[in-house]
Amino acid sequence: MKKMSFYFRLILSTIMLAATVSCVDDLDVEPQDDQNVLADELFQDIEGYQALIGAAYANLALTGPDGPESSNIANIDAGTSQYGRALMNLQTFSTDEAVWTYENDPGIGDIQRSIWSSNNVISAGAYARIRYMISVTNNFLAQSTPDLISSRGFNSEETALINQYAAEARLLRAMAYYHMTDLFGKAPLLLENDPPIGYEAPELDRVELFNFVEGELLDIEEELEEPRGFVGVDYGRADRAVAWMILSKLYLNAEVYTGQGRYADALTYINKILNEGGYSLANEYKNLFRGDNDVNEANSEIIFAIISDGITVQNFGPTTVMTNGAVGSLEQNGANLGVTEAGWGGAIRVSPQFADKMLPSDDRNTLITDGRSANITNITDPATGFILEKYSNLTADGESGSDLTFSDVDFPMFRLGDVYLMYAEAVLRDGGGDQATALDYINQLRIRANAPQINSGDLTLDFIIDERARELYWELHRRQDLIRFSLFTGGVYNWALKGNSLINGTGIASFRDLYPIPANVVQSNDNLTQNEGY
Amino acid sequence: MKSLFKSSLFIFMMIPAYFFAQTTVTGTVTEEGSNMPIPGVNVIIKDSTTGTTTDFDGNYSLDNVNQGDVLVFSYVGYLTREIAFTGQTSINVALPLDAAVLDEVVLVGYGSTTKKDLTGSVTSITTEDFNEGNIVTAENLLAGRAAGVQIITDGAPGGGANIQIRGATSLNAGSAPLIVVDGLPLQGGTADGSRSFLSTLNPNDIKSFNILKDASATAIYGNRASGGVIIIETKKGTSTLNATFDQLYNVNVLPNLIENFSASEYRNIISDRFPERLSELGEFNTDWQRAIYQQKLGSITNASVSGSIANILPARLSMNLTNQPGARKTSEFQRYTSSLALNPTFFDGNLRFDLNANYAIEENRFADAVERGSLTFDPTQPIFADGLNVGAGFFEYTNPDGTLAAANAPKNPLALLDLRNNRSNVKRLFGNLKTTVKFPWVEGLSATLNLGFDETRTRGTNELDRRSAAGVRLEIDGQETLVGSKTDYADYRRNRNLNATLNYKTGEDFTVDLTAGYDWQRFDRSGFNSGEQRDLDTDFDNFTEDDVQLLGFLGRANFGYLGKYLVTLNYRYDGTSRFSEDNRWDGFAGGSLAWNIAEEEFLKDNSTLSLLKLRLGYGETGNQAINAGTLFLNRYRFSQGTSQYIFGGETFPVAVPLVFNPDIRWEKQTEYNIGLDYGLFADRIIGSFDIFQRNTTDLIVFSQLEEGNNFSNRVDRNVGELETRGFEANVDIALVQKSDFNWNVNYNFTYLDQEIVDLDGDIFEVGGISGGTGLNIQVQQEGVWPNSFLVYNQLYDDNGNPIQGAFSDLNGDGIINADDRYVYQNPSANVIMGFQSQLNYKNLDFSFNLRANLNNYVYNNVESDLAEYRALLNNNFLGNIPTSVLNSNFESTDGNQIFSDYYVRNASFLRMDNVTLGYTFDISEKRNSKMRLSTGVQNVFVLTDYNGLDPEISGGIDNTIYPRARTYLFGIRYTY
Repeated sequence: MKKMSFYFRLILSTIMLAATVSCVDDLDVEPQDDQNVLADELFQDIEGYQALIGAAYANLALTGPDGPESSNIANIDAGTSQYGRALMNLQTFSTDEAVWTYENDPGIGDIQRSIWSSNNVISAGAYARIRYMISVTNNFLAQSTPDLISSRGFNSEETALINQYAAEARLLRAMAYYHMTDLFGKAPLLLENDPPIGYEAPELDRVELFNFVEGELLDIEEELEEPRGFVGVDYGRADRAVAWMILSKLYLNAEVYTGQGRYADALTYINKILNEGGYSLANEYKNLFRGDNDVNEANSEIIFAIISDGITVQNFGPTTVMTNGAVGSLEQNGANLGVTEAGWGGAIRVSPQFADKMLPSDDRNTLITDGRSANITNITDPATGFILEKYSNLTADGESGSDLTFSDVDFPMFRLGDVYLMYAEAVLRDGGGDQATALDYINQLRIRANAPQINSGDLTLDFIIDERARELYWELHRRQDLIRFSLFTGGVYNWALKGNSLINGTGIASFRDLYPIPANVVQSNDNLTQNEGY
Repeated sequence: MKSLFKSSLFIFMMIPAYFFAQTTVTGTVTEEGSNMPIPGVNVIIKDSTTGTTTDFDGNYSLDNVNQGDVLVFSYVGYLTREIAFTGQTSINVALPLDAAVLDEVVLVGYGSTTKKDLTGSVTSITTEDFNEGNIVTAENLLAGRAAGVQIITDGAPGGGANIQIRGATSLNAGSAPLIVVDGLPLQGGTADGSRSFLSTLNPNDIKSFNILKDASATAIYGNRASGGVIIIETKKGTSTLNATFDQLYNVNVLPNLIENFSASEYRNIISDRFPERLSELGEFNTDWQRAIYQQKLGSITNASVSGSIANILPARLSMNLTNQPGARKTSEFQRYTSSLALNPTFFDGNLRFDLNANYAIEENRFADAVERGSLTFDPTQPIFADGLNVGAGFFEYTNPDGTLAAANAPKNPLALLDLRNNRSNVKRLFGNLKTTVKFPWVEGLSATLNLGFDETRTRGTNELDRRSAAGVRLEIDGQETLVGSKTDYADYRRNRNLNATLNYKTGEDFTVDLTAGYDWQRFDRSGFNSGEQRDLDTDFDNFTEDDVQLLGFLGRANFGYLGKYLVTLNYRYDGTSRFSEDNRWDGFAGGSLAWNIAEEEFLKDNSTLSLLKLRLGYGETGNQAINAGTLFLNRYRFSQGTSQYIFGGETFPVAVPLVFNPDIRWEKQTEYNIGLDYGLFADRIIGSFDIFQRNTTDLIVFSQLEEGNNFSNRVDRNVGELETRGFEANVDIALVQKSDFNWNVNYNFTYLDQEIVDLDGDIFEVGGISGGTGLNIQVQQEGVWPNSFLVYNQLYDDNGNPIQGAFSDLNGDGIINADDRYVYQNPSANVIMGFQSQLNYKNLDFSFNLRANLNNYVYNNVESDLAEYRALLNNNFLGNIPTSVLNSNFESTDGNQIFSDYYVRNASFLRMDNVTLGYTFDISEKRNSKMRLSTGVQNVFVLTDYNGLDPEISGGIDNTIYPRARTYLFGIRYTY
């Protein structure tokens, strides 16, 4: 019996011990993957702040942290949710500049046929991607308050850097709200101190958004780096000229956004870029769209670019799509574009109405028309309709890129050529300035392109909209431009597929000047209202 | 029990009487209660071959009975009686009706009860009820056997099954039942490189499945039991020596194929449609679909020994060797398992150890799903071709100048199989040590400590030959060059469990059974993936998943009065590391009542009704099985090497903030169950009815996240409610019950109805299909079944043919766009039936089983994506298409057409899973050694109107599956 009770005591005490050792503290589990960290760990040193502002910039290029197929936006294909791609789908494929062959890719058919609804996955994905930029920049601002910076023990140099990053975070946030203004005409206002969940943000209408973006940009102007101050140092970050560029665009489109023309204000900031920016036109137009445009001679023209790299910044963004997608099914011209021979089998073609605007003798005209009909008689047949070769993953010298799919081409979001055209337009819209200078700017672009120069009589608003197409096609400005010229909706100017009419297109209702707020978004925030017509 | 103890003592005392004289014993055997004589009762002398049977009047006479012999009276349907011969000349026996079925032990989680005392909805399936046939994984033993349990098995060898008990219980937190092996709750997911998470468990080691269906029963498992619980009990050591050896061989026939155009038909189509491309056709007639399958001999070998080592250590050792190549060429599955059970007891059974240890090795070669490729490859091209600079002797497309064709050219499906070497090696060690102590100083008090361990290690390599046309293309010296492909990966998963319970039982008429316990479980996982090693740009990733820790405190009380009125109450308080400190704990209660009506005075003498029991149950369970371990924390994830950013030419990983939900909390299920168990004619007919309603509240939904500074548009949130109602019936009938002829059948029936009651107004698409980038065909929205199809309403011409691109403008706005899609049907069967028949005649046995599903709809993605004339040109190469294009005549299914309800088909079916015929030879009656030879067919037939390969598609989107090929079996089993 003695022995037996010894065993019992042994077992009993084992049970007791086991139960106490494994106490409730075991429930406190920390992230364990070496890639995942919490704020306190991340922001111990300055690299953490760089990694977070980097994430904000990278949100323009990447869709998730785990490769080009990963995405932090749900219910849309990862690649299609890329920031630049979202702009491309909404600003380019909805216009005469491009037709996507594979209408089975959800949502794109409704976009290019101008029959999108509030359930369209592409506009919903674009909204979510832009919205992510607002959250990530707010997160940066929330982590860089003076109290937090000092409690984390940064020295004055580091503090200054964090503050400059913070100004850039506000710039990127303003850029996101500017895109909201342009595409959706309204947005929930979320600032850095708002909670992560369960907060129904108030809605800003288009005028309020305009004022917010304007106020933010004016507020941070001085804190940002000098124009071109990052060249050779931190190229890829946004400087003061980016704020000026957004202000210029905002004012140029103010009549559309607010009903009130602000062309003189537009000219003020256009002039700042022209006079204080230190930018100069690239020698060769094509070099702006080559794999080495971060370092080749054309870089002097680029005001802001979304970085892309075939190895380290892999993405299905605009430059990857506009190289692979541009390869013709008949031509198999992938080698010209620095991608695989067949590319994506002829994913992108252009409307005949767009092709008509191209000049026969003009370096900017990269159309391929041989053996092709101008009309796209069958969307699913990539052999109909013209194609073009604007972007190439080869370098300016024709060297191969680093990868046959993912592009090295940085997407030039803002460049001097655009500013020249904006100057001319603002002058024509009575914003002040000088007609002769305007003509000179236009002709500088034409001289570079080996295209015939124009004379002052040719310089009209009608000319400007077509010249913008010739200079800036596939640079994601087209829808905004057409709206400013009242050509996007209505029936004054029609193109293939507009209004779901294949060859010549047909007029569409003016409510389509704005995209709908995604139905799920309206539903989940009581303060948000849907745009008229949807 | 006491009297049995006394009588056995008595027998022992009588042993010396063995030497007394031999006598003839006579007597009559009657049925207890009715006193009717029973003919055909076996009367034998225990441990001998001497015996007789009763005549028509129940009389018997047995010679040569010695003093001390024990006479055994047995008859099917009655309890066996043993009576010691002490010199009586006449022994009359009254046999009571067999309530054995009701005394069967049923495991209910942290304890056991008897079928009679059961109050919840629990189905117990033991060895004799198991399915026969080609049983590679444990799930196959169960398919179709239990009402409310749906098991969709996989055609791949060792492939896992999709198990659902009473339908899906969650949209996003997992609906798979909790599987508990000998008290060790297993981790759900399948390790990388393993076929399935039960593929390493030897089905031959399983003694019983106890399926806990309603929440009153599962509540005791609280935190992981919302999908129901399947308790697996493995075989244990025995007191006597037994050995079995069995060997099964199987060979499959070619599976069903999708009808596409033959080579000659194809030539005609091409000359009609693309006369200018006729020259591209080959000279051959290749049936690519046939070419990708193999007919290979597979085998399953089992050996087990059980007995008692030195008469004190009951033990069982078993080994399994399974070799199942599977139907696809190059596919291999080999498994070696060994398991050991030791069940020693000490101090008169007051201390008991149960050790189960299992070790399994799984060796796989995975074959790519090339079904679609084989369906579409040009049938006029040969399988092999010489002299190409690509393909290692297989035909592949090349440019006219002999150079490599573009990357998007179709690839020879056979080459894809043959040139890929995708192998894994999985080692799994799992088991548990259970210590049970009965405290002699307090009668009825016992304690149990169960320590469980489960560890899986995988290493895998997936390599594609450098000559394969499907390999990675790198630019080397200005040339696009094939370099094959190679990735290595490893996965390590561990699950540790400790549970300790105290149990106290007391009472005679009024019985009390109390259990209290503590449960600790921790899961961890890590691994690596090399990424593409032939392309140095890609990333090597070491990953570690967040540990998941679960804790639970549990209590249960059972009360019974005279075995007639039974009450069970249970409560569990659970914590999970997946939620924040404020939300991680929750309590789950359950209770049930049972009334054994047949025991009441007014029914007790009723000879027809042997069982009538009414059960009422209510229970709550929780679900916390979201993917992320730390979703509630504001985390940042450093990006991989391919997802960095560049400032000033300097590349750096960025810290991407991850979506988080600080408010995530337990998803809760509440379930009401009313059940009725009945038995008729001495339990020759025994069955049950159950009706239930289950509501999942705080449903975790991958829901729209608009408000606030967060980092995605969707996150797991507790916003919804899902309601499931159902009815189940199960009946076992002993159609024939004679000493040398038995025929038992089982029929079970399940009716389910589900509805998403609340999603907070959200609507979102799920169910990706092929045919475009990011296409979805299903939807979650309020008022419909989960995963309903969201489609356009196809318009038809006067002849009933679908018109391409023509759909109903359901919202009448004059345009057909995403707003015109509507909800049409869903993939879940609302009626599921199973039928089994088991017949034994003398030494012959014959069994088969049937299953039927009604109203399970399938979206035929093979047809929607491929049955279009446009697909005759596949990336500018000629390609074959299914002949179903002749029905639709669609030129193209692009745009809206692919979302047509035309492709949503009713896939109701009746399937015979297995038929088996066996014959048992008695080799030596003395040693009770037997040999059974059997032959059978697996996947005998399917009756269905569905036109795809197989109507049984988990998830309802048919994109071709690993085919369930018909398989012929031959087995031999030797028992000692």
